[in-house]
Amino acid sequence: MTMLLMLAWTTSSPAAPAPDANALIASLGRPAPARTSFAEARFSSVLDKPLVSSGELAWLGQDQLERRVDTPHKETAAIAGDKVTQTREGKSPRSFSLSRAPQLKVLLDSFVALLGGDASRLGEAFTVQLDRHGEHWSLALTPTDAKVAKQISRIVVDGQGTEPRCMRMEEGDGDTAIDLLGPLAAKMPSEPTREVLVALCTGAAP
Amino acid sequence: MRFAPRAALLAAWLVCLGLLYLLITHTLVVGTDLRSFMPAPTTPDQKLLMDQVGEGPGSRLLLVAIDGMPEAQLASLSHGLAASLRKQPAYPQVVNGDFDLAALDGQFLFYRYLLSPTLDTTAMDAPFLADQLQQRLDDMASPAASMLKSLLPRDPTLELLKLAERWTPAKSPEVKDGVWFSSKGEALLLVQTQAAGFDPEAQEAAINGIRSAFAALPGSHGAHLLLSGPGYFSVVVNAQTRHEADVIGRISTIGFILLLLVAYRSVTSLLFGALPVATGGLAGIAVMALCFREVHGITLAFGFTLLGVAQEYPIRLLSHRRAGETALASVRGLWPLLMTAIASACIAYLAFYASGVGGLQQLAVFTITGLLAAGLATRYLLPHLLPERARDVATTPGLARLRTFFDELPRPRWLPVPIALAAAAMLYFAPGSFWENNLAALTPLPTDMLMTDARLRGELGAPDVRYLLVLQARDADGVLALSERVEPDIDRLLAGKALDSVELPSRYLPSAATQKARQAKLPDTAALEAMLATALKDTPFKKDLFAPFISDVAAARSAPVLTPERFASSPLGQRLSAMLVNRGDHWVGLATLSGVHDADAFASLSAKTGGAVRLLDLKEASESLVAEYRTRILKALAVATLLLIATIAFALRSFRRAWHVLAPMTLATFMVLAVERVAGIPLSLFHLVSLILAGGLGLHYALFFERDTGDPDEQRRTLHATIVCVLSALLVFGMLAWSSIPVLRAIGLTVSLGVAFHFCISILMAPHASKE
Repeated sequence: MTMLLMLAWTTSSPAAPAPDANALIASLGRPAPARTSFAEARFSSVLDKPLVSSGELAWLGQDQLERRVDTPHKETAAIAGDKVTQTREGKSPRSFSLSRAPQLKVLLDSFVALLGGDASRLGEAFTVQLDRHGEHWSLALTPTDAKVAKQISRIVVDGQGTEPRCMRMEEGDGDTAIDLLGPLAAKMPSEPTREVLVALCTGAAP
Repeated sequence: MRFAPRAALLAAWLVCLGLLYLLITHTLVVGTDLRSFMPAPTTPDQKLLMDQVGEGPGSRLLLVAIDGMPEAQLASLSHGLAASLRKQPAYPQVVNGDFDLAALDGQFLFYRYLLSPTLDTTAMDAPFLADQLQQRLDDMASPAASMLKSLLPRDPTLELLKLAERWTPAKSPEVKDGVWFSSKGEALLLVQTQAAGFDPEAQEAAINGIRSAFAALPGSHGAHLLLSGPGYFSVVVNAQTRHEADVIGRISTIGFILLLLVAYRSVTSLLFGALPVATGGLAGIAVMALCFREVHGITLAFGFTLLGVAQEYPIRLLSHRRAGETALASVRGLWPLLMTAIASACIAYLAFYASGVGGLQQLAVFTITGLLAAGLATRYLLPHLLPERARDVATTPGLARLRTFFDELPRPRWLPVPIALAAAAMLYFAPGSFWENNLAALTPLPTDMLMTDARLRGELGAPDVRYLLVLQARDADGVLALSERVEPDIDRLLAGKALDSVELPSRYLPSAATQKARQAKLPDTAALEAMLATALKDTPFKKDLFAPFISDVAAARSAPVLTPERFASSPLGQRLSAMLVNRGDHWVGLATLSGVHDADAFASLSAKTGGAVRLLDLKEASESLVAEYRTRILKALAVATLLLIATIAFALRSFRRAWHVLAPMTLATFMVLAVERVAGIPLSLFHLVSLILAGGLGLHYALFFERDTGDPDEQRRTLHATIVCVLSALLVFGMLAWSSIPVLRAIGLTVSLGVAFHFCISILMAPHASKE
């Protein structure tokens, strides 16, 4: 942790976030493997009502990420290097290139950088903006690559202290995925709305 | 002749040459397709080989690697290059690993239900749809959501992804940043050209197109573009051959001019002496341009080489002039012998015509016309132009001593016996194989270039150049049906590791029957809407989301089946078209193979299909082709030899004198063969062709040495003329012998050796007047 902290402090580049954001990001670092439970609600133009799923997110070090879904159906998506492998119960695994799922690439970039407490890596891929309300804070990450930004307009990470509570991914076509992390995951309502979830994330609701 | 008529004759001659030149520039079409210099195929496999050499999918493939920059930049260069080339019709197929779904043209998108094997094993009914929709819902909750979302309304069963999987090469390089990378960190691309692989000019245009498209990319400066593949090689070989031939030609021309100046010490003689050969060359090209639609570049190059014999005619005339004798009188004295020489050379070159190879036939027309024109010009035009008085070369200092030296050499009658025995022994004990059957051995490619090619081919999983799987049927659809039928057998071969991968035509388009069967399984719109409504009941999907799916199924249900011709308007259809070949009364499908480990394993497949599916070994076919070709040339040579004996015997009206001419020629020819074989050189067609040329030159030496008149001055003139001829031939062909191009080296070495042996043996075997 101290190592990561020092690394974060010493590697500042022109594109790096403001010192305040740096300090916060550095404080978010966890040693790998780091796991957290999640509950996701996806609001999409192809759906009449949001799609809710839950499971566990795990950072296994470097660019290795695992996303396990327990409900509604068991499924594991593992990212290793450029390859994404999806394993679904009763089906043969399916894999595709990370470059075909830019959303996933962005997720990986932001997640690994946050869990690594690596502000400079985050600053490479995103424009970082920090917003604090007392104990609560929001990190808004906007992809610097215009092509990526067309697909993912921004990611907002909400947290309290040194704990991230939420990740909100806003896609270019208006679809949104909101992930409640850690203890907050248990608080996913059965019929969520964006407003309720945002309130949960930013600490406006208990 | 006085000055004025001479000037008039010169002017008229030059005008004629100018007219010939004009005729040539207006009618001559120079071709570069190397195949016209290959033997005519006889078996079906050989015919297929000749079509495939150059036009098959494998030979039109260029392997491209980009390096010299960080990975991310290389990836964007690869994307940029592929995008730029895909816009040009000269490149029907460009793949770099970024499989884009646009490969299936929008107009054919609804055909996916006829192209994908899904409906072979399942019906498009309510349970199937319900299962598919549930899976899509899971996808929506997975990281793949954003990737699949846009496909969903039109393709809820994800047929496009199934097709994409089917069309992605089984063995492909590692994908980074969405494009292929080699293990050495180069971005890799495969580009198929419209141009035939062995048409160097068209390939050069295609390659320059790739280079300029690359140079036009932002950020390409500093990156390195590496090309490989048959088409690239043909360009390199062509450029290299042309360059070397140019350099050698320039040097030997200068040497030749210097030699003639030293020999005759007259600039006028030199200039006029060039006229017959120029006439021969222009006349030869003009006749060839009129007889053939297209003249091969190699014919022109070889033709001028072979026409070198014609330079002997003016040399003989210049050397044999006596002091005080007019040129006309000299030529009259020489003419019977010159005529014999010209007729014999023409007969020898007729052998080329009988070879049945397009390029060699052109060569025969060119050289025979050229020799006749040069000979007639030497006899009827040149003497009228030459100065009245000339220096008698018999007075050349040192010549008399040289002649005495030759005269005093022992010339035993039994000399032919040891020479023949030595030649026979050398031929018997020579190492290595006698004939060079490998066409590839004649293509002078640097080893590192071949290694790069093998490395890239391995990394890209690009097809073998050696093997093709041939599928033969009555029509194109029959080929597709056959290809479907053998798929299980091929899968067994793949499982048994007989080969690494295969690209069958049916991978891209199923037969009409299969498409119809799938079509029959598609529900009508009312039934589909009903089933979809049931399946959608418990899902959060919007109710009217799948309207595009319903209209696509309706379109697929009523559309005429997709034929290769219609499919050809899309990039994938182009790829299929390259695999289907119409061969008159039947069609063949050519499946490219990679990593063939066990060629014999295909025998049972071939037996099972009654030979309709068979493995074509291009190397074997080309070797059998070369062997057959050689047999033809050898037969033609045998006939030419008989004709030659008859001509010489008739001209000299004595078999004994004919023996004195033909025996040295024959012995010298065998000595050349023996020496080359002892040096470990396997003989190729080019050696045979060169032996004929050397034989033509040797014939001159033997004829002139045999005609010894007993006049010492005339003997000296003969020696002078022959030495000038030998030196000039050695100069031209000796230079070629140093070439790095195997073809040029074969010609140069054979002719140089030939000239040396012919000279030595014919002077030693000549009957000598003073001793008889």
